[in-house]
Amino acid sequence: MSDIRVSEAAPTSGAPVGRSATRSDARDKVTGKTAYGGDRAVSQECLHAHVLRAAHPHAIVRRIETGPALADPDVVAVFTGKDVPGTNLHGMIRRDQELLATSRVRYCGDAVALVVARTRQAAERASKLVVVDYEPLPGVFTIAEALAPDAAAIHPEGNILGRQRIRKGDALAAMAEADVVVETEFSTQSVDHAFLDTEAGVAYLEGEVLTIEAAGQWVHEEARLLALALGLPFERVRIIQPPTGGAFGGREDLGIQLYLGLAALLTGQRVELAYSRAESMIARHKRHPIHIRYRFGARRDGTLVAAVVEVQADEGAYASTGKAVLRKAASHATGPYRVPNVHVDVTGVFTNNNPTGAMRGFGASQIAIAYEGAMDKLAAALGMDRVELRRRNLLLPGDAVTTSQILPVVSAQECMSAALERIGWEGRSYETPAPHLKRGYGLSVVCFGLGYGDGFPDASRARVRFTDGDRLEVYTGAVEVGQGLVQMAAQVAAQAVGVTIDRVDVILADTARTPEAGSSSATRQTFFTGSAVRKAGVELRHQLLDIVGTLLPVHPDELDLADDACFERADPTRRVPLSAILQEGRRRGYPLEAEAIFEPRTICQDDAGQSVRAFVTYLFASHAAEVLVDVETGEVQVQRIVAVHDLGKAINPLAAEGQIEGGVVQGIGMALMEEVVRQRGRLLNPNFTDYIVPTAMDVPEIIPVILENPDPIGPFGARGVGEPPLIGTPPAILGAIHDAIGVQIGQTPATAERVWRALQQAPGR
Amino acid sequence: MTEALELKSRLKDKGVFLAGGTDLVVGVAKGRLSVEHWIDLSGVPGLSYVREEGEELAIGPLATHAMLERSAFAPALAQAARTVGGPAIRNRGTIAGNLGTASPAGDVSVALLALDARIALVGSHGSRSVPIRDFFVGPGKTRIAHDELIQEVRIRRSADSAFLKLGKRQSVAIALVSAAVVRQRDGRVAIALGSVGPTPLRAARAEAHLALAGLAPEAIGEAASLVRAEVTPIDDHRASAEYRRAVSGVLVRRLLEQLAASSKPESPARA
Ligand SMILES: Cc1cc2nc3c(=O)[nH]c(=O)nc-3n(C[C@H](O)[C@H](O)[C@H](O)COP(=O)(O)OP(=O)(O)OC[C@H]3O[C@@H](n4cnc5c(N)ncnc54)[C@H](O)[C@@H]3O)c2cc1C
Repeated sequence: MSDIRVSEAAPTSGAPVGRSATRSDARDKVTGKTAYGGDRAVSQECLHAHVLRAAHPHAIVRRIETGPALADPDVVAVFTGKDVPGTNLHGMIRRDQELLATSRVRYCGDAVALVVARTRQAAERASKLVVVDYEPLPGVFTIAEALAPDAAAIHPEGNILGRQRIRKGDALAAMAEADVVVETEFSTQSVDHAFLDTEAGVAYLEGEVLTIEAAGQWVHEEARLLALALGLPFERVRIIQPPTGGAFGGREDLGIQLYLGLAALLTGQRVELAYSRAESMIARHKRHPIHIRYRFGARRDGTLVAAVVEVQADEGAYASTGKAVLRKAASHATGPYRVPNVHVDVTGVFTNNNPTGAMRGFGASQIAIAYEGAMDKLAAALGMDRVELRRRNLLLPGDAVTTSQILPVVSAQECMSAALERIGWEGRSYETPAPHLKRGYGLSVVCFGLGYGDGFPDASRARVRFTDGDRLEVYTGAVEVGQGLVQMAAQVAAQAVGVTIDRVDVILADTARTPEAGSSSATRQTFFTGSAVRKAGVELRHQLLDIVGTLLPVHPDELDLADDACFERADPTRRVPLSAILQEGRRRGYPLEAEAIFEPRTICQDDAGQSVRAFVTYLFASHAAEVLVDVETGEVQVQRIVAVHDLGKAINPLAAEGQIEGGVVQGIGMALMEEVVRQRGRLLNPNFTDYIVPTAMDVPEIIPVILENPDPIGPFGARGVGEPPLIGTPPAILGAIHDAIGVQIGQTPATAERVWRALQQAPGR
Repeated sequence: MTEALELKSRLKDKGVFLAGGTDLVVGVAKGRLSVEHWIDLSGVPGLSYVREEGEELAIGPLATHAMLERSAFAPALAQAARTVGGPAIRNRGTIAGNLGTASPAGDVSVALLALDARIALVGSHGSRSVPIRDFFVGPGKTRIAHDELIQEVRIRRSADSAFLKLGKRQSVAIALVSAAVVRQRDGRVAIALGSVGPTPLRAARAEAHLALAGLAPEAIGEAASLVRAEVTPIDDHRASAEYRRAVSGVLVRRLLEQLAASSKPESPARA
């Protein structure tokens, strides 16, 4: 960035940035020492809360009688919506969900009462004594039901949350003139985040301040929303993030924080609350199930001329972050391909299912299944090699994505080449150990715009300071949810200032102590908080160099700072240790601290879905998958996955590989087994017996490959890694199944039964 | 042991035998079960063994799946045990618990059914031996009287056996369909299936067909289609009945082909 001054040390070998240093939080997590939200809850005497959830997916709440529950001697209080002092409303984009329902419930996870008691058992027991008089309403549970003319309206304005479109060129005309047109349809499933620790935490009053220790993804925004819902001024709310076992978008919407806060505020006492796995799955939003109709038109030589894409998404009962998800699905509708004429219509529809919102991939993951599936179909229709077709249409440097943004780094082709090479595509074998097994190979190339984008305010602030004990402290409001942020921040700070990684302590996610950093979502924290830490670090580095200038008769340009010492470039033996610099700095009154904000701008898409800068930057990735399909049972076994990601710069390569592997595993789950099953709005599998996630035995050999074409803005060239490893996986696996059996599976997850059924129905059988 | 039986006859239905607890504890935690008194069998000495006694294998009720996995006596039993849960479950879960739970999806139960196991029950009035074909009554229901416990399980040596299971993933998976086949030393073939009826079940018609026709390829094909007709699966959120029926035939055919291949070197399998 232009505002970063001279003499920043570029990371060399052995430097903090680029080193696979062990994460500072790894040992405690692996040995079970780390106290997660639920562990904190039981460490002190407190009251216990329990939330009563709706008995019907859609009903009017006529009356709530709390008397019978209050009669229990162990019960301290029973709260309903009438007791909530503030707006009683929450929602990330639109405040449309009541904290406690006063007049209507719209899905089975809606909360109607909050019981506070002296024991957990009593709170749970008494919640069953709360009498709720419901008038059940007809529900709508599918997109078709929601759009029917006589459908029950879930919200006053009807059942459509929003529409998003792209109109680029004249896609309908171009389609009509195309030599070849293919059409394909996909339906994706409802997916749960399935993080390790369910929602759990404590709340208490510290004087006037309501303090909540529970995991979210954006402590400052949670404090703002909670203050509104509970009618408190912002400065009377403090949120502290405990160590967290994964989030994946699932902690983005507020939930447990509100109930903890309400209970502690109104009783004045310390309160704990922990969701069971069933409650966690019933209450929380899910990944959008979407239906996609995708058409590509191409010339005989394979050149794409048009894409026409229709998407309908199940929004569930409330808005959540749905609108942003729809926008992301639209802006990523043609992925990394050059398509001159694009016509996209995305519609989000309310139903009485779980609300749908943020989950790793955020709309881009569902649409990738469709554009890659359509590419495979187009290749077949043209009689052209899948790789050749992609090569012909992948973006090249200087090309623009569908939204018309021209990207500084376009490495789609390079990613694909690396994936092909690592899986051994050219020499691939279709041999199998038995005739009922068929082998197949699939390929995906994806791109992903990181950050919130679309003009949404997106910033991170960070502070760095030296303590009197010569430790370097980094303060950031960002949350660590397992992704490795704490180590990223330490390595970036060490690099920027010129100290060793071990000297750095990172203080995270406490609204009373740390500056606003935005959410840990949208693959943004390495880019945003990494940049803020780097800017602040460079500022501090300059203070150190200035101090050295008073000690050595050398121009600052001839000095370098690394590994806790300042030395002359020309003669590194001439050096001043960090302790001496800090001592001198203190004597001279230097602040020895610095704060910086990183706030790159984006521009919202116009009515035609166009924006020269919808996202701050894009990542490219390519996955290749090898599968074995049992054609008699439909069972799919993934044999190998190669995942190539152009991260710009891996701040910690080992951690980046870990993120890639984790994303691939989650992608295998989405491709083959994970599915929330509901019957008229009620979950049939809110548990890990029947909500199937991959086990270690389902994980094949994963080969992560990191490319480093530096980003012009990101910290030390880094972009990020979070979401794309998941996004690229399902299309590669589905493509491999298609290759193995000659049939495209149009519905995820591609369970054994679905594959079997598709084979039964395939022509020629 | 006497103490355990005394407790049980005193507490009747209010006392529940606890073995590995992998079914019971989960049931209690999920609110499906409420238990007033536990009678923990882990303190009773000498119940955890897998012992070859001449032509028989004697298995103590507290023998774990991990122990069964390591026994070479009957491949179907070891293979079934290997597919139970994950390592933690196999180290705790027991053979008596698997039988006592009487789930239609009990993997070890399916293998034992094909192996014609005999289940020794002991109660305050003495012992008796129940053939496994008579043991299961319905989902969660067995012939164990309220004052009895499983004392031992015995199987006879067979010529060969094998087990296959299809679940929704590679481990910690409830069987969508499981199947075991056994070739007795007199050449008779037994076939048992899991998750395709209210209890683990034997495919009697397919067995009868093989008794006449042997393990020739056409006979195997015919047996597989008889199996598809004789199973009684249901539709649930895990799989459809139609699919379970189809897979039943596939698994049995593969298992029989395995038996046929391993019996090739000898002359026809008729005794
Ligand atoms: C995560 C998980 C995965 C699983 N996966 C599988 C699987 O893949 N396949 C499978 O078959 N099962 C599976 N199970 C179920 C279970 O582990 C097995 O059924 C196991 O064999 C039960 O044994 P246990 O010793 O734990 O039984 P317990 O839970 O202790 O007891 C089960 C029942 O048997 C009764 N019982 C126990 N011992 C005796 C006795 N000596 N006499 C009379 N009654 C007795 C008990 O009273 C109780 O009714 C799984 C369970 C879990 C939690």
